[in-house]
Amino acid sequence: MPIEVNGKTLETDEEGYLADLNDWEPAVAEVMAKLEDCELTDEHWEIINYLREYYEEYQIAPAVRVLTKAVGKKMGKDKGNSKYLYGLFPYGPGKQACKYAGLPKPTGCV
Amino acid sequence: MKFAVQINEGPYTHQASDSAYNFIVAALEKGHEIIRVFFYHDGVNNATRFTTPPQDDRNIVTRWSELAEKHNLDMVVCVAAAQRRGIADEGEAKRNGLDADNIAPGFRISGLGQLVEAGIQSDRVVVFGD
Amino acid sequence: MSEPWEDEEEGAIKKFMFINRKAPYGTIYALESLEVVLISAAFDQDVSLVFSDDGVFQLKKDQDPESIGMKNFSRTYRALEGYDVEKLYVDKESMEERGLTEDDLLVDVEMLSKEELGNLMNEQDVVLSF
Repeated sequence: MPIEVNGKTLETDEEGYLADLNDWEPAVAEVMAKLEDCELTDEHWEIINYLREYYEEYQIAPAVRVLTKAVGKKMGKDKGNSKYLYGLFPYGPGKQACKYAGLPKPTGCV
Repeated sequence: MKFAVQINEGPYTHQASDSAYNFIVAALEKGHEIIRVFFYHDGVNNATRFTTPPQDDRNIVTRWSELAEKHNLDMVVCVAAAQRRGIADEGEAKRNGLDADNIAPGFRISGLGQLVEAGIQSDRVVVFGD
Repeated sequence: MSEPWEDEEEGAIKKFMFINRKAPYGTIYALESLEVVLISAAFDQDVSLVFSDDGVFQLKKDQDPESIGMKNFSRTYRALEGYDVEKLYVDKESMEERGLTEDDLLVDVEMLSKEELGNLMNEQDVVLSF
């Protein structure tokens, strides 16, 4: 299903992930979140931006527990736990936050 | 002994799949247990039921399916490797918007964790490939 | 956080060794080996990585494979620390044969002789070779 972002039509796959990761811009996250009835706050953006930095640096999306640990280290213990992350991204930080951040879709590989 | 087997190469191109098959048959005959057969890299191509070799050649895919049925083998295809190479079951086809699935009977698609878990639960992991 | 697989096999920690023998590009083995390593980290096992033969090139600094249409996944080796995968060994002889020193590598490693690697391999429960 394509999504409309700033007047552009962007291809996404069955689960709403961007087909072309180069299409990403902050407005993409806003549109995707709205489609899932999620209002992005600064707290959401803190995680989304961190995911983008992590991907840029290491070329992978972090495993959830690696993300949790890293968030705790960087943003404080009160945020470095799964309760906080799932509170922000109820569909799972691995799936939902990565989608908003324009990272590749997890393979479902566990 | 509990064996786990990993197969890293595709059928016909490479002997890994044949050797693994022969190993498994021999191990079962000796009374050993095969707790899982894990298909990785091009090994996932062992799982497409669209394979149609000439009649005077062995059908490697069918042979795996029959062995699995006879001995209740757990044959697992790595999902990430399968996605790259176009091996899909019904769930994967739906999840990725494909117009068909092609997995052969007896195989299931799952994650790499199944390989690690097989390593934990078996006495030996035997790898077939280059 | 609790993942579904973490409730099983509580306490069973095995020594897993992943041996990487192939150049990073040209075949997919290096990339897909790294994917197994990242998954194995979720199982709290004792993981070691060995880089031998052309596999030592996987850790070479300043890789730039974009012109052959490949993603530069060498950066992912630097994420291993965050996954608590910290035992990285390279074969000294393979390094010397290729004119490489530790300064050419993008992560901290321990250089071992063939004999030392052999001893380390003997201590393992599961050895997967890519």
